[in-house]
Amino acid sequence: MTFDFPILTLLIFLPLAGSLLLLAFRRSDAAARRTALCVSLAELILGSWVCLAAPFGSLPGAPAGFFLFEDAAWIGRFGIRYTVGMDGISLVLTLLTAFITVIAVLVSWSGIKERVPLYFALILAMETGIQGVFLGLDLFLFYLFWEVMLIPMFFLIGIWGHGRRIYSAVKFFLYTFIGSLLMLVAIISLYLMHGAQTGSYTFSLAELIHTTVPFGAGLWLYAAFLFAFAIKFPLFPLHTWLPDAHTDAPTAGSVILASLLLKTGAYALIRFGYPLFPEAAHAFTPVLYVTAVFGISYGAWIAFAQEDMKRLVAYSSVSHMGFVALGIAAWSPVALSGALIQMVNHGVTTGALFAIVGMLDERTHSREIASYGGIWGKVPVLSFFFLFFCMASAGLPGLNNFVGEFLVLAGTFRVSPMAAGGAFLGIVLTLVYTVRLVQEILFGKESGPLVLSDLSLREGGVLALLALAALYLGVHPGPVLELLKAPIALLTRTG
Amino acid sequence: MTLSNLYAVMPIVITGCGALLVLLCGPLLRARANSTIAVAASAAAGLWAAFCAPSSAPALPGLAFTPLAQLLIPIFCLAAALTLLFSHGYNARRAISGEEYPATILFALFAMCVLPCATNLLILFLALESIAFAFYILVAIDLGRAESAEAGLKYLLMGAVAAAITAFGISLIFAGSGTLALSAATAASGNRAIISAGWGLVILGIAFKLSLVPAHLWTPDVYQGAPAPVAAFLSTSSKVAAAAFLLMLLSFAPPMPEMHVPLYVLSLLSMVIGNLAALLQKNIKRMLAYSSIAHMGYLALALLTGTKEGYAAVLLYGAIYTAMNLAAFGAIASLSSDEERSEIADYSGLGFSAPFRGAVLALSMLALAGIPPTAGFIGKFFIFYAAIRGGELTLAIIGIVSAAASAYFYLKVVVHLYMHRPQAASAKPVTAAESIALCCASLSIVVIGIFPAPLMRMVDLVLR
Repeated sequence: MTFDFPILTLLIFLPLAGSLLLLAFRRSDAAARRTALCVSLAELILGSWVCLAAPFGSLPGAPAGFFLFEDAAWIGRFGIRYTVGMDGISLVLTLLTAFITVIAVLVSWSGIKERVPLYFALILAMETGIQGVFLGLDLFLFYLFWEVMLIPMFFLIGIWGHGRRIYSAVKFFLYTFIGSLLMLVAIISLYLMHGAQTGSYTFSLAELIHTTVPFGAGLWLYAAFLFAFAIKFPLFPLHTWLPDAHTDAPTAGSVILASLLLKTGAYALIRFGYPLFPEAAHAFTPVLYVTAVFGISYGAWIAFAQEDMKRLVAYSSVSHMGFVALGIAAWSPVALSGALIQMVNHGVTTGALFAIVGMLDERTHSREIASYGGIWGKVPVLSFFFLFFCMASAGLPGLNNFVGEFLVLAGTFRVSPMAAGGAFLGIVLTLVYTVRLVQEILFGKESGPLVLSDLSLREGGVLALLALAALYLGVHPGPVLELLKAPIALLTRTG
Repeated sequence: MTLSNLYAVMPIVITGCGALLVLLCGPLLRARANSTIAVAASAAAGLWAAFCAPSSAPALPGLAFTPLAQLLIPIFCLAAALTLLFSHGYNARRAISGEEYPATILFALFAMCVLPCATNLLILFLALESIAFAFYILVAIDLGRAESAEAGLKYLLMGAVAAAITAFGISLIFAGSGTLALSAATAASGNRAIISAGWGLVILGIAFKLSLVPAHLWTPDVYQGAPAPVAAFLSTSSKVAAAAFLLMLLSFAPPMPEMHVPLYVLSLLSMVIGNLAALLQKNIKRMLAYSSIAHMGYLALALLTGTKEGYAAVLLYGAIYTAMNLAAFGAIASLSSDEERSEIADYSGLGFSAPFRGAVLALSMLALAGIPPTAGFIGKFFIFYAAIRGGELTLAIIGIVSAAASAYFYLKVVVHLYMHRPQAASAKPVTAAESIALCCASLSIVVIGIFPAPLMRMVDLVLR
């Protein structure tokens, strides 16, 4: 069936509408929570419906591979159009966004007590920004959403965060803002280059791909794009905002940061970076290999040294995202599908780990690893989920991360055995810090008397949902890979 | 003089008569009535200008209602009306009374309406200096504060020197070309050496008006000393008028090649030094002063490309900058009680205790930082697009990097508004006039940010 109404626009702006509605709730916190949950569930249902009902064929007038496409004039003077489109990659990430937002709303159900309506309004506004990034096909529109994402997250960290929340919020903002402004220069340059060559001034991705970029200029332009994306990714050595932002953000903020915001960097590199500048991207591949492999080991190594659980999980993100970068660098169908599925996996597992750390923090007001120990006997259900997601994160076969890492390594090995070997070393290091975490928190000696209560129904539900997703992706990743197959074939064909 | 000629100069007539009316009848009326008359006069002039068909034929000797006038007069009128709305409550709290305040604002507006209509150098110069003259009074109008008088004196002394330099420059251009027509200032007519010397002086004089580095030193002191609504008017309309002065003198043609280096240096220094100095400020008005120096540096960047796109960017940015700074200074004026809230730290927690005004201030800060989907982003995009297209890639990158750094001090205000525990005294309730004005300013920021196409069309009409 086809959709006879602009469903992508609805997907993007439904959360924003919910966000504006929430701002009207001045006093009633409970109503705000319920509305936020309803809106995020509606978004998830809408996303699933698209997934079930979308006509997976090519659409006349749309770029190849896109089965949903909307296009309208916006700022005629510059040839800027409101162009959104969905292919398999966008669909998977859109679903992930909708799913994780529901989780984010649920994990902050009882932890947030101040300015509740504003908090949920920001989470929903955030969702609009992220969906826009995953669906926008006009470079100007993409840039707009890319920047819009920053504002809600800045407020989430700064208002509801812990510790050095203001420092972390400002650092996060400035880091990404500087990167994206340089990208703006590159976007404008590419726009002018294309306009001068063809006479049609446009920001449309489908047309800009055909620009003939001189090699030298292409290197600079690609470098500007890569710089912006690498900050979001984050690739070593541009990752230093991440531990601070993750650690000081409220739980839902960390979940959204890790599960969704980091993915926008990887997505943008796949969607825009490589297709726009294939030659320059190829020339930069060794750099990407080195930073990816180094990032995997470095992140794992630093994670091992952390005393703060949240910081540990944050550094493990750096390590896991290194696999995504490795898969992209290899740019073969297998490696790329590994990278994409690893993005989803990382979203699920790391989101779950942040949620669990948040739950422990809510109970004891401590995130120090040393202040826990031996909680296995006290809170068996929570401990079970903790173990489950730690194992998933370490890449236990049968769970989700294994699939992604395996595909990335298998795909990369064909192209660059050295890089695959280096990354394999990183997996071993991942085991080291995971085992340490499990051992000290679940089984070690209790350092002080801890009063812990086991999971509430809501918390159990959240973790069970995430665990189901992890298990499903681990044992039956076929349908997701099937979705990714066609767009990846299109991307790697020319590349 | 025919009726259509009269129609064309109606905005000038309305504002002039309004000013005289307020001045003559003011003593008999209450302050509220004076403000109302003044707001009504500026709104009427603005609406008239917006709906009157432009033509380049002179309506009176030396005056023509050009497309440029049709674009700029509504902007000036909007700025004046909002300034008056902000001032009413502010002046009542600060015991600034008297009909001379609204009358002087209207006189300034009168001169602003004349400026884009000018068709010869003399009228143009007179209009520019009349604007400055009105501001000498307005800056010093708060008799209760020593800073206000100090700022007024400083502005007057430096302004007088700048006026003399500009006048000398214009007389050189006249001497070189032998005509007072606006086209005199292009190299094609007559003695090039004398004309370019005249241009050098004019640029120096205008650099003062636009507060471009190194002629910027008055700006922070004057902004700090002036009443906040006056600073709003000064930082927006007088700058746009000065930029329009340059564009008219250029007759929308590219500047002479020898002007490239001075403009380049002015733009570079203003962007870098303005943004760097603003990083260090603790006083919000001084911070906004340095920020306006940087913004004028962006404007100069678009100007020096000498292309149609660059000039369009100048006009569009002028309009957007007016909305952003009016919102910022308006929120500051409205949040100040009998003591002005001068330090940025004085705004701690106001985002929650005064949600509407806090939100407007935060929005204006995000807009000034150039973050989408606000109008500030569209403005910056257009400026840097025009610069790159005009071949100024290096300067554009320097500008963009300095703009990225500028986000820090704009965010500092937002951080204080929302993320610090409140320690500042809570604000007086917002008045109806202030709400209307703040709504107007912030709506334009958002609407232009999302639908910039109509404004762009208007700007393009001017340059066609």
